[in-house]
Amino acid sequence: MNNHVRQLREQRGWSQGDLAEHLDVSRQTVNAIETSKYDPSLPLAFKIAKLFRQSIESIFVPGKE
Amino acid sequence: MARTAHRTHDRRIMIAMTIYVVVLVCVWPLAKAALEPVPKIGYALAPVLPLLYVIWAMGQKILHSDELEQRTHLIGIGVAAAAICVISIVSGFLAAANAMTLAATSAVLMWIFPLMMLVYGAARSYAARRYGGGACDEDERLPLYLRLLWAAVLLGVAAAYLYFRSGHAEAAGMVLGMAVTIALGSAIFAVRRWRRQRTPRE
Repeated sequence: MNNHVRQLREQRGWSQGDLAEHLDVSRQTVNAIETSKYDPSLPLAFKIAKLFRQSIESIFVPGKE
Repeated sequence: MARTAHRTHDRRIMIAMTIYVVVLVCVWPLAKAALEPVPKIGYALAPVLPLLYVIWAMGQKILHSDELEQRTHLIGIGVAAAAICVISIVSGFLAAANAMTLAATSAVLMWIFPLMMLVYGAARSYAARRYGGGACDEDERLPLYLRLLWAAVLLGVAAAYLYFRSGHAEAAGMVLGMAVTIALGSAIFAVRRWRRQRTPRE
């Protein structure tokens, strides 16, 4: 699954550490989500969407099957 | 949960492990010399108390980890459990067939927990790397290489105590070998961390 988390984070001028702090996860988790190495759970995806004030589907895009 | 709580758990685990090594070196040998059953059992089981605390603290740490960390913990525990199952069943068959002495069997049993921790740490580190992280210690106040260095120093002191005070040259040699191995591991993690810090992130 692809996502726009990195762009949204950079728009706000946050570092990965800043975003990790907002989401109460580790910096490695933020990095893994941004690089699409890890797909977050639904609760974490909702948390990300709420933080950036966007819908989940506008942040997370299904990848090629 | 705040990430600072993570560091608190790490600190608790390190303190408990330090107490464990001290008890193992200073208290546990008294069990062999004790004649009465109650003090003998007390001395023999003394190292179990700090280990129980370590297990509880690790459980707390995993409970308070985020979802990706919990996944890497699960992978580490799964691989470690599989390794221990194999070692246990091999030792069990050998002991049942009298191909292994009772002393060797008890030695294997005592090494199960440290071995489990070692395999768990290695497997978790590998899983964390697959998700793009290092040994998952970059954000920690006390990085992995320093923790390993601390363990190596502690074991070195224990080896010196065993050699100079107790006169157990064989046991001292074994503990010293462990200390050197862990110190080498610490050096490897220190170099990796240094190289990672030199390359720009993101």
